[in-house]
Amino acid sequence: MNKIFDLFGQRRTLLLLLLYILLSFLFMALNDPFVLRGFRLAILQGISWVYSAQHRLASIREMEQENKMIRQQLLELSLANQKLQESMLENMRLRRLLKFKEESNFQYIPASVIGMGQEQTIRSLILDVGSADGVAKNQTVITEQGLVGKILIVEPHQSIVQILMDRNSLVSARLQKSREIGVVGWSGNPWLDLNYIPRDVIIEPGEVVLTSGLSRVYPRGIKIGVVSEVSDVDYELFKRIKLKPAVNFNSLEKVFVLFTPDTSLTSE
Amino acid sequence: MAKIEYRYFTFFVVAFILQFTVIRFIEIVHWRPDLILIVLVFFSLKKGPNWGMTAGFVSGLLQDLISVEMLGLTALTKTLAGFLAGVLSGKLTTRAEFFLVLLISGFVHDLVYFFISTLGENFSLHSLLIFYTIPNLLYTVIIGAIMYYFFEPILAES
Repeated sequence: MNKIFDLFGQRRTLLLLLLYILLSFLFMALNDPFVLRGFRLAILQGISWVYSAQHRLASIREMEQENKMIRQQLLELSLANQKLQESMLENMRLRRLLKFKEESNFQYIPASVIGMGQEQTIRSLILDVGSADGVAKNQTVITEQGLVGKILIVEPHQSIVQILMDRNSLVSARLQKSREIGVVGWSGNPWLDLNYIPRDVIIEPGEVVLTSGLSRVYPRGIKIGVVSEVSDVDYELFKRIKLKPAVNFNSLEKVFVLFTPDTSLTSE
Repeated sequence: MAKIEYRYFTFFVVAFILQFTVIRFIEIVHWRPDLILIVLVFFSLKKGPNWGMTAGFVSGLLQDLISVEMLGLTALTKTLAGFLAGVLSGKLTTRAEFFLVLLISGFVHDLVYFFISTLGENFSLHSLLIFYTIPNLLYTVIIGAIMYYFFEPILAES
């Protein structure tokens, strides 16, 4: 009996390693963290707590300066808004004349980036808003510069965003000038790829790429990026197009979760 | 639980919180140090492979929970890193051991991670290793050296 225990003792390390490997693969196969949700909530609460503590430490002077800047921006924006309202009214009149279908109104939930996921190549964002604030899965996340990604995991007071620089992220996109439709994806490089654009389409670097609105997740007309390089390969049917993302994913602090009445119906 | 385990537990918790919150402020291009890996290597070198892989599995699983990647992937890679560091402990002199083991376990960690996460996808494994693993590892070793200098006396088991 003792010999069996000795043998087990010698092999305990390998058995333990095997057990952990099996458990890891089991989790990968199931990929349903429901039983572990409590742990996730605790971690996200911890991250929120650290963020709030950091935030409280910000000096009043900084806030005053920011306030002054925001007031100035507000003034400029309200002037711009007046002009835009004029244009919108004119646009509505013209649309009515052309019998265009009205687009749904967007609503925004402002959010702060309180943390970043630690995946190796890609990066998810942790936001300080969750289902209690009206956030739901698949809602679009944007900044004033353009598209960031979509909500993937929602907890009551936090949510996790899948950004465009994630190899599982695919966005239906449209080139602004040529109106061609392609798919924006990411393949591990510092740029995004615009795929499935035929070789005969003429595209110049600098052309803006927007969401096409054909996807059930992303609304139409949000800037994804700008074409930075276009090339053709003899044996390929489609062009190789590199995009410079509209958003700098490294310096994101404040974002908006955008939702339309349609978003709540989607669940990919 | 002995006093030393409490110390390590505290280090793991602090590393974990820092990794998800303030690490982005010291990010260079796309590269950032893996604080959890550093603490894991420290721990595994002191406590051996069994403790090392247990700590690796738990910390990796917790990382997976707030990740958009496959659940269990980091648990697997951190388990292997902890196991390797534990197995290699005592084979070299202390300081050299730490840096070398950090490099080896970090490399194996990334290799397995990229291999599994890019299975069946049009990704070049070697370019991922060159673009991400090597700079990340070097950065991790530099931060590891600083941490080693400051925390080795605290974490040393008397």
